[in-house]
Amino acid sequence: MKGRKSQESREVWELGNRRVKGRRLNNVLHRDVGYLIVGLTLVFGVSGLALNHRADWNPSYRQQKVAKQIAPLTATDRDGQVREALSQLGVTEAPRNAFRPDPDTLQIFFENTTYAIDIPTGAVIVDAVRPRPVLFELNQMHLNAGKGAWTVIADVYAVALIMMALTGMFVLRGKNGLTGRGVWLVTLGVLVPVVYWALTSL
Amino acid sequence: MRRFTVTALALLVGAAGLTAAGAIQGKKYGTPLTLTEVTKVSDIYATPEKFNGKRVLVQGPIVDVCAEMGCWLAIGSDQEFQTIRFKVEDGVIVFPMSVKGMNARVEGVLAVSQLSEADQIKQGEEMAREMKKTFDPKTVKGPKTSIQIKGEGAEVAGK
Repeated sequence: MKGRKSQESREVWELGNRRVKGRRLNNVLHRDVGYLIVGLTLVFGVSGLALNHRADWNPSYRQQKVAKQIAPLTATDRDGQVREALSQLGVTEAPRNAFRPDPDTLQIFFENTTYAIDIPTGAVIVDAVRPRPVLFELNQMHLNAGKGAWTVIADVYAVALIMMALTGMFVLRGKNGLTGRGVWLVTLGVLVPVVYWALTSL
Repeated sequence: MRRFTVTALALLVGAAGLTAAGAIQGKKYGTPLTLTEVTKVSDIYATPEKFNGKRVLVQGPIVDVCAEMGCWLAIGSDQEFQTIRFKVEDGVIVFPMSVKGMNARVEGVLAVSQLSEADQIKQGEEMAREMKKTFDPKTVKGPKTSIQIKGEGAEVAGK
């Protein structure tokens, strides 16, 4: 009788010990993975905010359009028109390219700047595009423009986020743990996308 | 443990740096080009049905780029007053605006479709919103044939 009791108490103790070890491992994982992904979370978080509102602004580029006026172009061939326009605009740099998308428009391309000239009137729109410092790079990473190694890094980050969510539920015990307020907050968080999806798919 | 965390962080930052450097230097986008024979844009415009659904390689100056998502290029034709759109799925290729004015060789499947007046107005309004331009629906007069390349790969030359 005494032997059986002692066996049971040892089993209970071992079970408790395993639980403590499991929770400790969970918390260590949550802490260290959390530290590791601070940088990537900032990259994806900041660029996510920027890209989410791209209907209202261009999150990657600063675009500036300036109107200018030159005399109507008299040359009939494209190269002649380019020379005439650049001379009038006082531009000495050699252009990358030139193109006429329609009979009345001449486009002259430079690095980050395009001149669109209305041939009959000489009205010019100078369209200058510059990447936004820092945001451009963050957005390129968010959109996985580089592919290759970044695809792997972003995949690892996604797995790390899932791990953070799962381990996060088991960090605390008691009234602030998953069996206490945690269950309500987790339910609320899950309901947000579910309710949104249900309402918008009607 | 501290050494481990610092090493892991250093590896992560290094890998990110290498990726960013590759993105800046690389002038190939999407899948590698498989065709060697270039199809003239003017030939496509002359007989679009002949090329519909076929894989084509087109080259010309990049005269416009999607400013919002880098998801399309307008390629200038070998003849003036003609451009063809090279459209990729959002996010599959992200063209930087810095390629504008450069010469490109692009490959994909040609898609020819008929656009009704309503479709053209919808498309024109979307484009105008995207490019921050104005669009007058009165400029749409009757159905129009739409020709574009469903893009897969591109090579952009420096000039």
